[in-house]
Order: sequence, then C-alpha cells, then structure tokens
Amino acid sequence: MAAHQQPVTDEGMHHANYHYGHAHLLARYCALPDPLHPPRLQGYLQHGWNMGDGLAPGTPFVEGSRIFAWSEETRRRSWSQGRRDVVVVGAPFAYLVEMEPEPAGAPEPEGTIFYPFHGWEGQQISGDHQKLIDEVKAVEQGPVTACLYWNEYRMKSVRKIYEKAGFRVICHGYRGFWWREHNRDFLIGQLAELRRHRRVVSNRLCSAVWYGALTSRDVAVYGDPMVLDNADPTFGGEPRLRRQWPELYGHETDAAATHALARLQLGADELAHPDELRALLGWPASTER
Amino acid sequence: MSERCAALLRDQGTDYAAALSAPPVTNLRRLGGEMFAWTDGDPRRSSALPRGAVLRHLLGRYAGPGRSVLVAGPHADEVVVALADSGASVSWLLRSLLDAEDAARNHPQITVLSGAVSKLDPTEKYDLVVAADGVDRLNSAEGEQLSAAELIDRLAEAVRPEGVLVLVHDNRLGVHHTVRLEPGARERLDSEWYPAEDENDPQRPASPEQLAARLTTAGLSVDASYAAFPDPAALTVLIGDGLQGKVSSPLRPRLGTALSQALAAAFRDRPVLCDPRRLVKRALLAGAETTVAPAWLVIARGPGDAPAVDRHELLVGDARGTFAYEVSSTAGEVRTTVVEPLAEPIERSGLRRISEPTAPGADDGYVLEERLLHLAATNDLRGMRLELAQFDTWLRALALDGLLSGPAALAGVADVFVTERGPALLPTRWEPVEPVPVETAAVRAVWQLAVQLITSGQPHPWPIASNAVDLTAIMLGMVGQGVGAEQVREAVELHLRLETADLELSLSEQHDRRLQLLAVTPGTAAVDVPGFRELTEALWRQRYEASHLLAMMEWTEQMIKSRDLAVSKMDWEVQFYKKTWAGRFLWVARSGYRVIVRDSRKFVRGRRARRAEQTNAVR
Repeated sequence: MAAHQQPVTDEGMHHANYHYGHAHLLARYCALPDPLHPPRLQGYLQHGWNMGDGLAPGTPFVEGSRIFAWSEETRRRSWSQGRRDVVVVGAPFAYLVEMEPEPAGAPEPEGTIFYPFHGWEGQQISGDHQKLIDEVKAVEQGPVTACLYWNEYRMKSVRKIYEKAGFRVICHGYRGFWWREHNRDFLIGQLAELRRHRRVVSNRLCSAVWYGALTSRDVAVYGDPMVLDNADPTFGGEPRLRRQWPELYGHETDAAATHALARLQLGADELAHPDELRALLGWPASTER
Repeated sequence: MSERCAALLRDQGTDYAAALSAPPVTNLRRLGGEMFAWTDGDPRRSSALPRGAVLRHLLGRYAGPGRSVLVAGPHADEVVVALADSGASVSWLLRSLLDAEDAARNHPQITVLSGAVSKLDPTEKYDLVVAADGVDRLNSAEGEQLSAAELIDRLAEAVRPEGVLVLVHDNRLGVHHTVRLEPGARERLDSEWYPAEDENDPQRPASPEQLAARLTTAGLSVDASYAAFPDPAALTVLIGDGLQGKVSSPLRPRLGTALSQALAAAFRDRPVLCDPRRLVKRALLAGAETTVAPAWLVIARGPGDAPAVDRHELLVGDARGTFAYEVSSTAGEVRTTVVEPLAEPIERSGLRRISEPTAPGADDGYVLEERLLHLAATNDLRGMRLELAQFDTWLRALALDGLLSGPAALAGVADVFVTERGPALLPTRWEPVEPVPVETAAVRAVWQLAVQLITSGQPHPWPIASNAVDLTAIMLGMVGQGVGAEQVREAVELHLRLETADLELSLSEQHDRRLQLLAVTPGTAAVDVPGFRELTEALWRQRYEASHLLAMMEWTEQMIKSRDLAVSKMDWEVQFYKKTWAGRFLWVARSGYRVIVRDSRKFVRGRRARRAEQTNAVR
C-alpha cells in the first residue's frame, strides 16, 4: 500500500504531527472550522511520550523549528540537548480527556487492557510473547484485552497467540503515514477502551500506560520488556525507564502517585486555552471571546 | 578631537554688536577666573543642568525669607528661581561669563558671581549652599585647579555654623557610568580638559561614607543621605537612608517600579552598553542600590543651630515641573503623600495628569510585572495563566459597560501591585479624560509586556521568533481572549497617546513612533533604551530566524519535489486505470496477484506452524 512506501525524503518533519489524529484533535479543541483537515502546525509536535528531546529518534529536523513538547520536563531535556525553540503545549491525549470527561453513569470498568510493547514500521521487536501472556494471566484478574500495534494485529500468527490465551484482541487502528490513512479517531477509540478497563498494563513504559494513569486507571508495567532492533541507547534505553519511574513498575502500583506523574509527563496541568493554542501552533486567531 | 574644532566647523563667533548694545547688569560680580566664550548650557560642550521636582522640594525646606543662599555651579533656571521666589537672598556662582550675564539679565533678583569657586570670598558664609551639579563644574579653565576633595571642602567652608549644604555627588561606580556607550566622550566634551572619570584620585570620595567623612572633617555633619536616581542631572527618585539596603522593606516593590520608570525616561534614546534597568534590578535585590546610584544627595549641617533636616524614605518627582510625592510606611501601612502639587492641571492628547497618586495600603504583595517576568523565565505556564487571569478579571471588574476610566485604563503590569486582597494600582501618572474600552486597555497592558519580553531579551516560554502581536495573542489567549492585529493596533494607539502626553511628542515624532511600535519583531532591539547588549540579543534572534528560514526553504523544496512526484504517479495511475482496457486488466491482475501472495504466505506460515507442532510432539 502507498502508506508503506518510503517517500522521497525520509520521515519528514510535519507528517508525524498527524499521527494518531493529533493535529485533528487539537484543531477540534481550538474549534477550527474544519478539524478533519487541520492547517499545518508551525513546528514539530511531540507524537509520543519519550525520554529524549521530544522528537522521535532519527527525525530529520529542520534547524530552528519549533518543537511542541508535551511537558516541561521534556522541554528542559530538549534544551539540554541543544534544542532552543521548545514550547510546552501538553499532550493531545490530555486535551481529549479535557474535552471528554468520563460520563457520570458510565459502566463500571472491569478487567485489564494489556499493551504488549510494540515496534513500528522501521524497528521490529523480538521477545517471547507466550511468556509474557503467561505472566499477565497469572497476575491479572478478570477479562484481559490485548491491544496490538497495527502491524502485529495484521499478523494472524501473533494475533492468534493472544486469542488462544483467551484475550480479547483489539487494535486502535493505523496512526497514519505520510499524510495518508490516518485513523483520525485513534485516540478517541483508545480513550474509550481505557475507560472500559480497570487496569492498564504493559511490559514497557509507554504512552499508553501514561494515558491509562491519566484516566485514573490502575497501571502496572511488568514482564519481559522485549528487545527493539537497533534500539537507540542515547537516552538510557529500557533500564533507565525502570530507574527513573519506578512508581509504575511492578504488579501493583500506587494509583495516586502514578496519576500525578502522568499529569506531569503529559502536561495535563499545562494545557493551553484554545486561543492560546491557536497562536502557539500558528493557526488563525479567533477573535470571539 | 573636538566636534567643534574650529578648523572643521564654522563658529558663529562673538556678536560684538549685541554685546555692546546690551544694557549693563548691576547684579553681576566678577570674581576672577571667569571663562570667556564659553557656556555650560550647550549640551555639546557640557552635560545637562540639574533640575527636578524632588530637588526643588528639598531645597525649599531650607530657603525662605531672610536666608542667604549660594547656588554653586550651573543649575537649571527653575531651581534657582524657586529659591529666589521663596524670599531668600540668592547668590549664583557661574564660571561662564556668558551664562552669568544671561542669568543676571534674566533674574535681577539674584546676585550672580562669575568666576572660579577658588575666587569666592572665604569670609562670605551662607545659610544654604546648593551644589546639585556636584563639584565638576566649579573649576574654571583659567587659573588654579582644585581637586574634587578640595572643592567639597571649599563648599563646606561657605556654610554658616547654623547653615546647611545640599550636595549632589556623582558616583563613579554609578549605573549611568557603567552602561555608558560613548566612545570618545572625553574628546567630545569641551568641558573635559581634565577627564571627569579619573579613577586614580584617591582623595575623591568614592562612597557615601567617604563623602560623609570628608564633610565631617570639613566641620559639617551629614544628616540625610539619599541614593539619587536615575541621572545626576535629573533626580526623580531619591532613596532615603531609612530604605537603602533594606530588602525586606514594604516600600521595596514600589521602589522597583519607580526606578524602572525613572530609568526608562532618563535613558530614552540614549545609546548604552545595556539597559540600566536590569543592573538596577539586580542591585535592588541585593540591597546594593546605594552602590550603583548615579549620585548621592547629602544634606549636611553646620555645627550651630541649623534647621532640622527632614528624612524621607522615598521621594519621587517629575524631572521637569513641580510635582513630587513621598512614599512612606508606618506600622505595615504604606502611604503616598503629595509633597509638591502640580503647578496647574495638565491635559494632553486626551489624557489628564494625575495629581493625587494612590498606593495600596497593604505592605505585603508583589509587583505583577516582576512576578510575570519570573514566571516567564521559569516557564511556569500555569502560574502565568493564573496571574494574567487575575489581572484580566480585576480590570474587567473596574469597567462599566465595557468602558474603563481612571488610572487603571492606562495601567501596565508594572503599575499593578498584587496583595492578598487582589490587585491594586501603584501610583501612575496619567488617566484618560474619556473612558476607553476595557478590551483595549487589557490588550495594551499585555502588548506592552510582550514588547518588553522581546526587546529586553528576557527569557520566555514561547517561540523565539515571535513578534509582539504573536506574544500578545498567546498571552491573551491564556485568559481566553482572541486577539487580532486590529485590536493590537488600537492598543498601540492608546499607548501612543500615553507617550505623547508624557514625552510631549510632536506629530512627526508620533508618526515615527507608531511605525516603530507596530513593527516589534524578533529583530527589534529596543523601543526605549537602545542598549548594545539588547542589540546583540536581537541580532542573535534575527540570525536564528534567518537560518531557520533557510533550512525551511530547503526542506520545503524537498517536500514539493516529493509531493509532485507522488501526485504525478497517482495521476498517472488514475488515468491509466480509468481510460484503458489494459489498465483495467492490470488492475484486476494486480488485485489477483495480491490475493495469491497473501494466501501463499498464509499457506507457508500454516505449513511451518504444523511442522513446528509435529516437531514439538516428537520431542
């Protein structure tokens, strides 16, 4: 499919802004007239939680561009790495939670949603899925939903392993590539799934775990973290995750502590007002109050 | 080389006809050592003449009927006239004969003494000796040259035992010298036949303590000592010894604002090494304002029964005119008292000068501008939103039907003091005659902060290459107010009215200023005090922006190529599929091929899985 073809340039500057429907969500928050087709963002939006400078490793960077980081901590780290024009805006998912608070009469959440650590189009992971499943089954009580990354979800063999374990297997969709085939409702679907469950677990600390903590779900990171091909050790790799955020590791964690950390990491207390965000992202101003 | 070098510039020469036709003056005495073909009133030859409402207020305390006054050195006419108008008998010592003749002619009630201070009659003593110009213009080019210390002694000698000396002494460590950017100043000024900034004179008092010690040795005692800002020639803020160095004083926030405004006015359009406000702000935090004060004003008394000396904590006044007020604190209550009222009501460009400044009574709080700058520097967006929202709510609550009257309509964030009870106004200078829309007032306040953030090179959490309109939009966006260029333009117009009233701008100056204020971009260095440091900051921002734009052009070029190629391929495909049987055939073939590939992969995977199961079973 066209989306998988390598473009003339490597992964470009702005197309990642549309991953997971991020730009579309922000456009909706800013009440832009056509949020399904948002105007270009004047900079790079951090598109996943990371422990680096806010950009995905290897992102070709147009010198001097703005970076829209999720949190103040990321901004500081980015500054320490030589980036200068870094502006904290908060994570798009945090805006979504702000726009769609949990309804009062929502059904009682139950069971666990499990996010096996995934690779992506450019990096595959290797590890023992079955061992991981066994541990999840031993720890978790109630029904388990396994949420696979889109390419693993398409691999029937991988999907079958989880199905055989009795898990409900889902996928939030395709994040999009090179401005095509984005699932604009990616995060909306993810939020709905997170809210269905009582616990959110993964074998590696990742965006989904922080999202779970932000939505006040119990979160836990345990099990074989698996190995990513050509993993970039610049920012400390997987061992650093455990060392820096031990509060999220283990079978049981402190919900209040993880929620507070998630608010920090996702910049949930830094969210900009719609008019402010328009001005920051370089979108047209709204003159109505 | 002098700018007025006779070889290069035509001098007007002496107007002999005018000199011969001028009526003789009887109130002029030549002491000897007077300078011919010279004037201290020409800014190209000498520095500005001392003036200011606070100076006039202080001097007025010791003048009065029956008292004899010696004004030593050049001063602004208004200062000397005010002394004479008090009923005192005023003698005015001027080294320039031209200046002396003018003074004698224009002020027949004053006795003018022309010559060098060394020629003063040592037996003549005065109830009040005024040397607000310091001692640097008391020597003449002719004859004996006294050192600074000797000049101070000579002034002290002229004070009666029950008399008072008011002396303004230039501080060589003062901020005005530190930030000075005047290459060749020594060669430029005709008055500096000896350099004014000789750092190697160990006798010249270099601190208030050394000055007091010198005066004590000369037989006087210093009763009050003020750190004087922003310029020795225009003292508008005097910090009394009760406030100097007291970093916990409740007057401190007001002092910061008063100094910032005074420095901005004094250094406006004066090229400097760096904006003096930053240096003074740091000094204030360290309680070191006396060390960096441009001058010290001391009031010293003779050993006899001299009048009591008032001691003020903080005096603020106009550079020109009479208006001055005192800020004091007692038992946690801060009071603002007008000590010299406006001579007459002033209205300019639709604004009215405030005659009774107010200050909030509470002593515990902070100046909003300082808090916002701190929050901006520490990237505290949450705090920033809270503060701006509080300011916005306060401003809107003061409005009636969307219109704002009174001083709040022109309040900047530097004029707002936030206490536990909420924001309140610090003393301001102007209010609109007709109310202004609250939106415009709010946009002006925030826009002014945006301009300050950009032009002063202050750190802030927003994009580096933001212009003033961008930053205004972001900050007002924080309080839910969308703003466009039109609203900013209205705010700039309001701001221009304020500057026109305050600085008495001409129409052409207003026009130039409007253009300057509407075009505050990342490359703008300064809009008030042109600092070299700020200029280099602006240059850095310009380079950042320029190199980003170059990188962006390159990237855009690549993107266009890539998109063109993608569109071309897709277009070719679409046309092919749509128009030809071959295309349709190929489309079917490609779909079939995909099905086969998918199923064969499935088959291979299934076979591998079966083999693996068999192998496991065997084991």
